[in-house]
This record gives sequence, C-alpha cells and structure tokens, in this order.
Amino acid sequence: MKIGKLLYVTKFEDLGYDALKTLLSLRQSGLEHIVFMYVIEREKVAMRRGIGYQKAEAIRLKETANIRFIDWAERLFEQGMEVGVYIQVGSLAAEVAKAVAKEEADLVVIGRSHKTILEQFYAGSTVSELIRRLPVPVLVYKPVTDNPFVTGTPFQRPLIATDWSPASLRAVDYLLGITPLIEEVRVVHVADADEIEGSSVMNAQKTRKEAKARLEEICGRFQAQGTAARSHVYVGDPATEIEKAARECRATMVVLGSSSKNLWVERWLGSTPREIAENSAFPTLLIPPAIG
Amino acid sequence: MGKKVLVVDDDPDVRLFNTTVLEENGYLPIEAENGEEGLQMIKSEKPDLVILDVLMPRQSGIRLYRELKTNASLREVKVLILSGIAKKTFLRSQQALTEFGESQVPEPEFYLEKPVDEDVLAATIKKILG
Repeated sequence: MKIGKLLYVTKFEDLGYDALKTLLSLRQSGLEHIVFMYVIEREKVAMRRGIGYQKAEAIRLKETANIRFIDWAERLFEQGMEVGVYIQVGSLAAEVAKAVAKEEADLVVIGRSHKTILEQFYAGSTVSELIRRLPVPVLVYKPVTDNPFVTGTPFQRPLIATDWSPASLRAVDYLLGITPLIEEVRVVHVADADEIEGSSVMNAQKTRKEAKARLEEICGRFQAQGTAARSHVYVGDPATEIEKAARECRATMVVLGSSSKNLWVERWLGSTPREIAENSAFPTLLIPPAIG
Repeated sequence: MGKKVLVVDDDPDVRLFNTTVLEENGYLPIEAENGEEGLQMIKSEKPDLVILDVLMPRQSGIRLYRELKTNASLREVKVLILSGIAKKTFLRSQQALTEFGESQVPEPEFYLEKPVDEDVLAATIKKILG
C-alpha cells in the first residue's frame, strides 16, 4: 500500500513542522506529496451586527497561515518533495472532505479536537465527523513531546486493538500493507470484564487462551512479512485498557478500525475509537469503513 | 489582438491583480487555478507567456515547470515565475529532483518574488514579450 499523498490539516498551535518531520518516514512507503490545509472557521469572520463580514480579519488569518506554509513548503521543496496548500473559510470537516476528494489524498493528519464536551455533544466531534465523511485513514496526531512514554515516530511501533469486528480486521489489513514502515507491532484484544466475572478460573483462562490464539494468528501474518509482532490480552473498559497497553508496550501510535455508527447513537452511547482519538496521549490512526 | 498570457495561481486576488496589469498593458489574459489545469490550458490555448505561481493545490509550479521543460513540444513556452517561494528554493528543489533521477531542467529565465510592484511586473512582461 502506498501513502503517496498526505493532507496535513493544522491550526498551527496543534500541529507544527516538528510534528510533520516525524511523519517524513512515510517517504519509505512512497510519500512524495504533502498538502497543507488551514481552515478559518466561518464563525471567526462571520457577519456581525454593526460590523458586517470581517474581511480584514479573514485576510489577516489567511496571510498569517500563508506565511507559515511558505516557510514549511520551502523546506520540503528543497528535499525534492511536492507541496500544495489550501486555505479556506468554512466548516473544517466539510472543507477537509472537499480537499481529500480533490487531491485524492491517501492519509489525513489532524490535531486533536479543541471542542469542549458540550460543543462536541451538540455540534459533534470533528474527528467523528471526519471519519464519517472521509474514505481515507485519519491520523489524530498528539505531539510526542507532550508524552514521556512516546519515543520514536508514529509508524515505528504501532499498537493495534482488535475486537474481531470487520472494522478492526480492516485496520489489521491496512497495517499489513505498510509493514516496511513498522519496526514492531503489538496486537491487543480487550476482553469484556463480564466474560470473566462470575465464571470459574478455568473459564477465564479459556477466554484468555482463545483470544491469545486469535491474536497470534494476526501476529503470524505480520511475522510472515518480516515484521516483529507480539500479542496481549487485557480485560476491562476498552478505551482505558488500550491506553494502558500502549503505555506498557511503549507504542508510538494506536491503530483502530472505525465502524459507521449513526451520528446520534454515537453521541449518546459514545464510541471507543472516538474516545481514544480525542483523549489518548498517543497518536491515533483511525481506519474508516470505506477502506478495503 | 494582444498577446495571450496565462496566469496560473490558486489565489483569486493574485489572479485579479495579474490579469488587471495584463489588460492595462494590452495583453489578453487567461487563467488557471492550479498546475494541472495550467498544463491543460498551455496545451489547448498555446499562450505566448505563462505567469506561474509555485505553491498551489493539485500540482505545484515546480512540477509544471519541469513538465514544460522536459516536453519537446512545450519547451519553448516562455515562463515567468511569480511566487512567494524564494528563487533559491525553486532551484534547490529542481536540483533535488534531478539528484533523485529525474531529468535536468534549465533555470527559469525570469523569476519575481511576491510581493511585486505592478510597474515591475508590467516591465518584466514587456521585456519577455517585446
């Protein structure tokens, strides 16, 4: 699988050039084109009573972004890379979706959402909205410097969590397509505490052993491609345990498959991929339902 | 009828500035908003000059310039690069691509860095097109 073109969506305070540098290892998998994107949220420059459309503010924001992008682009051009740029006024998810379609990007990189819990409830999380709209994987980037547990570049030591669902198995297939980038992969299953609770010691061990055997099958597929892989079984709340596993394994990224849950179901009941993408200290790669 | 000049730039304000300068000086401007569209228009419209930005969606000016200079039928198209990207970056980029095994291309003859004064732009176009 080739990640030839990457759409880098930044608000500057969340994703800088230092973060981008950690992704340049993707050149090994054919990355040759980076497209920068900055979306000026409409409400920042919208019509206001007595002021009207704030054109001067829109120009200021646009030119500030342009200056940053020229600086980044110069560094990448000098390395022989192809670079493009979009600076748009509008809704983030809608503009990103348009740019992905226009550019035929293979991967979208975005910082974590800055919306409050209340805003997310009413307006939806940007990450959820992106996953719902985009046919390509989304990497929700967290700065490595913020996390003493993360050392290395995101694709170096990914941890993939599987619940055997088609979505999570699609994520496994995606990683299998980019093994040249990966040093070691950890494959994790989080068993439901209810499966263990109240059952006998033997039954609990049986559950663990069955899960382990299935994980080993996945590890075998990575090993067959020359990539080191290890399996782990955890028990409890998936989001909490995946975070724990990532920390214990010194993973550089968490990889999850995402199913296409109904918007309102997700808002009321939550979603593990979204929770991890928004709250985990680790960069999170979400593989959308449309892949594969 | 004035000579035909293609302006390739993703910024509508810059395109408006360039086309206004061109019209005021008796040229016939046409426009494209990225390198890919620019290449198609160069082939279909056969302009006398291309004013080319570098940092654009779809295809950059660096790639478009390379395509022109490595295509025997388009090599002679006159190009004025007009960009916020420094000329030295443009040259280093072309050098890096050559080092990666792509063909060597000549240095652009005319390069202006943004922002540019309208008199300077008009004078440069006049110098190129005569």
